[in-house]
Amino acid sequence: MKRVLLGHAAIATLMAVAACNGGDKGATADSASGSEPQVTSGAATGTASTSGARIAVAHAGPPGEWQMPAGDYASSRYSELASITPQNAANLHVSWAFSTGVLRGHEGQPLVVGNTMYVVTPYPNVSYAIDLAQTGQPLKWKFRPDNSQQAIGRACCDVVNRGATYADGRIFYNLLDGHTVAIDAVTGNQVWRTKMGDLSRGETITMAPIVVKGKVIVGSSGGEMGVRGWIAALDAATGKEVWRAYNIGPDKDVKVGPKFKPFYAHDRGKDLGATSWPGDTWKTGGGAVWGWLSYDPALNLIYHGTSNPGPWNENQRTGDNKWTASILARDADTGEMVWALQVTPHDMWDYDAVNENILVDLPIKGQMRKVLVHFDRNGFAYTIDRATGEILLAEPFVPMNWSTGIDMATGRPNVVETKKTAQDKNVKDICPSLEGGKNQQPAAFSPQTGLFYVPTNNLCMDFQARAVTYIAGTPFIGGNAPEKGGPGGYRGEFIAWDATTGKKIWGIKEPYPVWGGALATAGGVVFYGTLDGWFKAVDARSGKVLWQFKVGSGVVGNPVTYTGPDGKQYVAIYAGIGGDMGLLIAGDVAANLPYDVRERGTTLPDIARWTSWGGELFVFSL
Amino acid sequence: MTSAVGTDTGSNYFVAGDSLRLIEHPEILPAGFPLQIKPLPIKNRYEGDKGAIANGAKLFVGYNCLDCHGADGSGAMGPSFQDGRWHFGGSPGDVFESIYQGRPDGMPAWGGRISNEQIWILTAYVRSLSSKDLSTENFTGKTVERTGH
Repeated sequence: MKRVLLGHAAIATLMAVAACNGGDKGATADSASGSEPQVTSGAATGTASTSGARIAVAHAGPPGEWQMPAGDYASSRYSELASITPQNAANLHVSWAFSTGVLRGHEGQPLVVGNTMYVVTPYPNVSYAIDLAQTGQPLKWKFRPDNSQQAIGRACCDVVNRGATYADGRIFYNLLDGHTVAIDAVTGNQVWRTKMGDLSRGETITMAPIVVKGKVIVGSSGGEMGVRGWIAALDAATGKEVWRAYNIGPDKDVKVGPKFKPFYAHDRGKDLGATSWPGDTWKTGGGAVWGWLSYDPALNLIYHGTSNPGPWNENQRTGDNKWTASILARDADTGEMVWALQVTPHDMWDYDAVNENILVDLPIKGQMRKVLVHFDRNGFAYTIDRATGEILLAEPFVPMNWSTGIDMATGRPNVVETKKTAQDKNVKDICPSLEGGKNQQPAAFSPQTGLFYVPTNNLCMDFQARAVTYIAGTPFIGGNAPEKGGPGGYRGEFIAWDATTGKKIWGIKEPYPVWGGALATAGGVVFYGTLDGWFKAVDARSGKVLWQFKVGSGVVGNPVTYTGPDGKQYVAIYAGIGGDMGLLIAGDVAANLPYDVRERGTTLPDIARWTSWGGELFVFSL
Repeated sequence: MTSAVGTDTGSNYFVAGDSLRLIEHPEILPAGFPLQIKPLPIKNRYEGDKGAIANGAKLFVGYNCLDCHGADGSGAMGPSFQDGRWHFGGSPGDVFESIYQGRPDGMPAWGGRISNEQIWILTAYVRSLSSKDLSTENFTGKTVERTGH
């Protein structure tokens, strides 16, 4: 018996179910005992519930369009479209589909601007403009960028791309080989192309940029390759770099100056980004920015997370290793750091903090607070004051056993001694696994219910760290972490979460990690896809599955909704298993590489029965 | 290996070596050129040598090959070595060349960075992993442990 925190259940049996079981089980709804959903009158405006919960920043563009990765700067993934409701969702059907011509992990989501849909594929990062106004959805254009083949083998976790963003008649996105491009939305012509990363040092780019006040904000991948992570701003008009901030190193490089006011004492001090590392180890210390970006125009702050420290072997980097595994708030004009919260100091479990930061105003203890809600890989859901970085609430949202909770005086997690990893030791049964309680799959928020809809993983791991040498362009990892299903016999769960109380309201257990993102709508329906290829519509209040459809490949992408030229509400999702789950964990889902045939993995032993690599867009309507 | 085919009367001549080559203009050949030659495959003196293979396993970890190609070469960012299938050829010479020169999908070039001797030892190790017939997956057999990033 091991102590496990599961929502508010105190003790549960860990590892009761062998890793080879559970793969065939269907999803089951599970209403948590105790609190009821924060149901409010269905204000279809989406601005506020009766509790006052609201999204901090308005949807980008008209409600029927999807112009940014998450629909808005707040990363809410909420749409005011309300035609699809719990009453009629059972009538959803496929309207049309589109093959991207590319296999591998289709993370991210399409954009819809006017009557055009924009799709970006995994490597080689082809983009398509699809004419929604014509029968058969013909292409307006197709853009095939120059993109170095070397990038394929430098990307740790599949050759994914998390999408483009639209602003001022242009589509902006990143190429796996480290370039950022701007494409004319009408013609498909490349307007500019800027080299941002150094592939020879293992720097790739997989994240979706956002445009803030005429600047394209991008960040690097490569936390497993000994990179030195950065975030940068490019002039949207010219592609010229305006500022670049590293996440590790001296204050000058990480842009820590007079504006920097972290809430907790341990985050204050000179050159912590270098002095919290032994010697020069910060130079290969990771801290990449491969996840999602948010922006609060009122505070003029950009929020982003940073990846794990490198290498995984913690013995080679004693100290806090700032600013890895952190949530950082930066001035949007200059990149200067305004506050920092290192959620996992001296990470030794590969708990990147790159997951999305959702900006909402919530009533907490009778008071409206401007908060940022973040579901971290480390298994804690944080409700944070987004002006100061103060943790208001932090509760486990998945089964976990590496920490007993957050010390609210210091903001640091209390770590369980027996779950600390170390060189040449095999530490068993750590939950969550290195994939995290949640990974890149973004959550959604509905102001109608006041709830967050969160795709989660339920995996645990053994962790074997070993000494490793930095060799440029090769992995800088020094560890092996075989995974298995977590307690309860399921490997993922789609949950509704109340960030004002830190409680799970309901959950839908899934046989596999839920690696695709969520979409919430004013119709009271939320959408998500599963690794075994089910796309589901769920009642936002009850968690009842209203409809599901088996798409052509596992879903690791994020649904979006838009109004078509015919005035109907459509919902679009990529099918295309991949990412860390699809490439590394489900190693046998490929079929197109005659020279690379892999055995089934223990973590997802049956996934290849249900799905194979693919690359397709599915669009549904009533 | 395809056997050498040769003729001294036809207009086309095949000369076998590491790879077959079509010679369309026999008149350019010097007098006495051997038109039928036996293949001379490149040999690895460490092939099958247990001591060398054990050392190769250490080099495989030490040069970070493991984190790309997976534990015991089971496949991760880079392709598997356990399946008996080869993207760029599986002969000792081919494997040496892949390690020495690198390959376009991201395999780094190790020639000049480590000794040729070590590349031959790695070649012996990598080839020793290639033993499994994974052609059919029937979803009832055993599984292997994998790690994500």
